[in-house]
Amino acid sequence: MQFAQLCDQIQPPSFAGDLLDIRAFPGNWINSNPDTNGIARLSVTEDQGKLLLQVLAIGPDGLVDWGMAPLSIFAAGPASQTGAGFTCVFDFGFAETRLQGMIMKGLLVLAQFHRFKDESGRTGYFVREYFALEHGKF
Amino acid sequence: MTTTLTFKQSSDLNPALESSAKGELTGAKLLGRWLNTNRETRGIAECVITAEGEGFKVQILGVGDPGLIEWPVIQATTMANLEEEAGQRTVALAADVDFDFMRIETHIRINKGVLVIVLFCTFTDGSGRSNYLNREFFSRRD
Repeated sequence: MQFAQLCDQIQPPSFAGDLLDIRAFPGNWINSNPDTNGIARLSVTEDQGKLLLQVLAIGPDGLVDWGMAPLSIFAAGPASQTGAGFTCVFDFGFAETRLQGMIMKGLLVLAQFHRFKDESGRTGYFVREYFALEHGKF
Repeated sequence: MTTTLTFKQSSDLNPALESSAKGELTGAKLLGRWLNTNRETRGIAECVITAEGEGFKVQILGVGDPGLIEWPVIQATTMANLEEEAGQRTVALAADVDFDFMRIETHIRINKGVLVIVLFCTFTDGSGRSNYLNREFFSRRD
């Protein structure tokens, strides 16, 4: 078993081929910052075992719907079967945004990498925002 | 003459992203040799960030058995990081590392003097290991 760091080296998993537990992700996630100029809310839905992410971002004249993108799911370690984070890519033509999300104690920490592909000369930028799941429990 | 900028969220229109403001961004705080704050880590032991032209190169050393594992030197993508570090115009780095058995997406940034590396690791070798994420913290050593 090849590894780049010791934590990659684990006993051959008995669950090889099983799907990760993705129950932590589906639902509506709301930005903790009501004054954000970035992403207002995320909606994660499940379709036949796969997760899709819809993003609604703040625009000058209301919310901007980015549409849907499929999520790649990551566990907390190579021997874990529980989904703890995701990545995905939105391509807008004039720009590309890569998202890296991780869930910690119910909080979704979302790193955003915005790269412009147009001739505007704008530099790419990084943003980190926090989202809480609408769970209706408390 | 005014130019209309395309956007998908309001922060795309931040004047600090315009080419005339690029020179105000600095990655000086990222440069140097960084050691993991957790001496028991089984992940990344050390990271060295150097400037090259207008960009940055990243050398990561993973914990091996025995010794350290030298990862390929990464040419990082530099991105403005306008909202952290008390609003200073600093940068964050994004980089991908390709091993023949695993692919890693990573981002690197400074938060209050601590270097933070976040890894999203995808196994490509069919070993059955779960793809996983990890976050580690580093303090400057020189």
